[in-house]
Amino acid sequence: MVSLPGATSFEVMAIWSVLVIAFFGLAYAMFLRRQVMACDKGTEKMQDVWDGIRVGANAYLKRQLKTIVPLIFVFTVILFLSVYVVPPTEESKLRFVGYSDQSLKLIIGFGRAVAFIMGSIFSLMVGQFGMRMAVQANVRVASASRRSFAEALKIAYRAGTVTGMLTDGLGLLGGTLIFIVFGVASPDTLLGFGFGGTLLALFMRVGGGIYTKAADVGADLVGKVEAGLPEDDERNAAVIADLVGDNVGDCAGMAADIFESYEVTIVSALILGVVLFTQTHELSWIIFPLLVRGIGVLSSIIGTYLVKGGKEANANNALKAINKGFYSSAAISIAAFGILAYFYLGEWRSFLSVVVGILLAIVLDEITKHYTDGHYHPVKDIAKNAKTGSATLLLKGMSYGFEVAVWQTLVIATTIFASVMIYYGQPITYVLYGVAMTGIGMLTLTGNNVAMDAFGPIADNANGIGELSHLDKDARKIMDALDATGNTTKAITKGVAIGSAVIAAVALFGSFITDVTKVQIQMGFEKTAQLLETGIRVSVPMVFIGLLIGGTIPFLFSSLSISAVTRAAAEIVEEVRRQFRIPGIIERTVKPDYQKAVDICTVSAQRELIPLALIAVLSPIFVGSLLGVEALGGFLAGVILSGQLLAVFMASAGGAWDNAKKTIEDGLYGGKGSDAHHAAVVGDTVGDPLKDTAGPALNPMIKVINLVSLLAAPVIIAYQIPGHTSLGMFITGAICLLIIVGAITFSKRGGFKKIPFEA
Amino acid sequence: MSKFIYLTATPEALIASMLPPAEFGAYLSTGTKKRNKGQALFFEVDLGHIEKLIDMDSLNRRCVAKADGKPKSSVYLSVYRVLETIPLSALKSLYLTTDNGNTHELKKSPYDLSREITGKLHLFQELLPVNPLVATELPPSVFLKKLTDGSTPIVLPKLFFVDLKLGELATNPAKGQIENLPYSNIGHLRDCLEILKGEYEKHMKTVQRVYSGSLLYRTIESGFYVGSKDEIIFYRYPDMEELENNNYEFFRSI
Repeated sequence: MVSLPGATSFEVMAIWSVLVIAFFGLAYAMFLRRQVMACDKGTEKMQDVWDGIRVGANAYLKRQLKTIVPLIFVFTVILFLSVYVVPPTEESKLRFVGYSDQSLKLIIGFGRAVAFIMGSIFSLMVGQFGMRMAVQANVRVASASRRSFAEALKIAYRAGTVTGMLTDGLGLLGGTLIFIVFGVASPDTLLGFGFGGTLLALFMRVGGGIYTKAADVGADLVGKVEAGLPEDDERNAAVIADLVGDNVGDCAGMAADIFESYEVTIVSALILGVVLFTQTHELSWIIFPLLVRGIGVLSSIIGTYLVKGGKEANANNALKAINKGFYSSAAISIAAFGILAYFYLGEWRSFLSVVVGILLAIVLDEITKHYTDGHYHPVKDIAKNAKTGSATLLLKGMSYGFEVAVWQTLVIATTIFASVMIYYGQPITYVLYGVAMTGIGMLTLTGNNVAMDAFGPIADNANGIGELSHLDKDARKIMDALDATGNTTKAITKGVAIGSAVIAAVALFGSFITDVTKVQIQMGFEKTAQLLETGIRVSVPMVFIGLLIGGTIPFLFSSLSISAVTRAAAEIVEEVRRQFRIPGIIERTVKPDYQKAVDICTVSAQRELIPLALIAVLSPIFVGSLLGVEALGGFLAGVILSGQLLAVFMASAGGAWDNAKKTIEDGLYGGKGSDAHHAAVVGDTVGDPLKDTAGPALNPMIKVINLVSLLAAPVIIAYQIPGHTSLGMFITGAICLLIIVGAITFSKRGGFKKIPFEA
Repeated sequence: MSKFIYLTATPEALIASMLPPAEFGAYLSTGTKKRNKGQALFFEVDLGHIEKLIDMDSLNRRCVAKADGKPKSSVYLSVYRVLETIPLSALKSLYLTTDNGNTHELKKSPYDLSREITGKLHLFQELLPVNPLVATELPPSVFLKKLTDGSTPIVLPKLFFVDLKLGELATNPAKGQIENLPYSNIGHLRDCLEILKGEYEKHMKTVQRVYSGSLLYRTIESGFYVGSKDEIIFYRYPDMEELENNNYEFFRSI
């Protein structure tokens, strides 16, 4: 079935091996799932609390499906029909020699549609299965914490690894399957796969982010601040929504987010690899990225299995064990890549690009840790500023947030420069391929990264279950230690997620330039007018306008998502206050209606999905159709730059404020109840929607815009007369603008009419 | 159901209740409707020692279970000048409650006068019957005696106070690090301490006249003191590790 002209038997075998590894990764996930599910769920009280979380999580997932499935259908049809606007590429004709034009269009159209469905469903599976696994695991971790720290850590981490390996396995499976079927024609369909995954990730990230923070902020404002209830108090009607929210945001949202980065990097590497293959006729440009991914899956399996906790229950021990797994996987990967490069490629450039990616992940980890971990100077400094009030604490946090954005962006710039140096003297396509390989390298340890991230909500929920079911002191200590570790691992993986999003976006940006050029060649553009030759000229007014508009999109997106959290949190506040007035709730004789708060969060989160998705999908079409394809390139650059800076700023400042508060709660400056603590609570509340809603939502948004641009660019080139705006394009742009304005209005008003809650 | 007698610090009152200490603390700090929150400090008082001081008939009549069988939360027996009336021998354990209702019991501890360190500055938050924040160079027993034995123009019948952390300021008010001290207006505190270290003889200096009604439990140094003249009762405050091991819920709340 593999149809690759000039492929050696090793290369054909290698592709099949990668497919086998993808299944092996999924089998490992199932194996771990079985291990976790075999553990006991604890006492009746624990299961009672857990049941509330489970029901709430299921309600969210069900409602999310109802919102998303019609959209998947609509986009599937659009992608299928797109082939009648943008004809199949020359590579497709090469792959399917002998087919008529009509048949070829049908094959490619069908391929795009199926790839889109596959990308969407895989992304959905990663988010939904991952979240269900996390929900199944939390009660088991709580139960295991009554016995030993090592057992509780093992269950939590292995449950997280299930999501990690699903991400790895499905990402690799999708890309490899498409490659096996479509061969050199795969770029024609891979975009559909990437777009499906990215669009779903956007939904899950935005929805999850709004849900989690609406519940968290709402629960804290009434429960902790107004009523003086402790965290996770059973009398707080929003407590279950808060626990569900941790899974929705940090598990489903993050897993889907990293999955789509994982997908998108392989998509861009394969697109660029095919371009290089057509130029050099060396298949290694395509095979190497797939093999690297395969090795990454294997090393993640080994590394994650090595994670085992010691006897003493503290956060340092847990973090050490997790880091041991991470660095083992990194070492195994690098060694294997070296062997592969030596024996297969016979040269080191691609290997170096991949290693740069791994190093980039490690450096971003360290930078994020330095600025957001309570053991380092920045967080201590922010906490110190709490002594003079919330204003100085906020200012200090913002200052460090801006600083991290500078360092992280410079590190990414250095990484791209490294690609330039590695492929020094080669045409730009090589450099862009190098960037794509850096992205592949960076996400080599996706299994470990997602495991670390999903570990966070599992430990957090276990702690909540422990609190609500009044477990004994020793168990609580274990869960507190795991929870603290989870907070650190969540913050670290956020840095990687943002960094990988930017690298993936830059790689896609490269694909955009090469793809546009390919279409321009097909359309008979003169060489001097082709994008690869002209580049994206900021000095051209239209391009600069595109750049400026691109720069505003992340701000618009953030504004709307933060506003959505504020609105939903206010609804939660009112609901919890209302329930406090019900006789018996405070006395613990009446159980609060937890489902009501769950419903408010679910409805609020889903309500915002459509307008935000419309902005992400339509803004590049608006810019491209009115200003042209080069301006669209400028627009992408603007989105990537401001998106990266803003996302890092928000994630880091929010994380630093959160940990500054935790540092004070651990006893600094008087601990809980002190003036410094009050200031830190303000900082944490401000930072919450930044780090968990707006910041993370920018990652998939950047890539959705990139992929839509990639898909739309050929149409724009085909229907736009150079130097003029055609009427059709003008009307398209105007319609997009109208819909965007409508979406903004809808979002700002919180919907055209109040959506009734569904039980 | 048993009856308990409590002497609360804010407000100074003698209260009868059918709630045992931990539940009474939660009731005081958060109420029954969660409309309010605020920490509470209270002693359990031995009823046998004060029977002659209170109206037992009234107590027995009023402090009964409610119609629905729930215990009576509070019956105020007396307010104002309560501490001075209650004999020190009647005081049992001291209870500290956080503003979210977690209570920690401090038992009476032997107080070793010989271990009092002189030459070190102290910060005492007076709690009853008056409540200024006072810096002094006097160790607890001397401070207590000085304010209650009539040797100064201002005399208190009894005094209940807590020893707060001063860190390096206790020995070096001018240059000592203030890194982890949470007190507001720390410059003023330093000034006050420097005055005490000054050339002219001054043993006490009021740092703050008004008590906020809330103690930061992490800033407690040695513990609580209550007494009069030479009679002193000491309630040792555990270090954080001990607290974490013995009362994890309370530890997590402070």
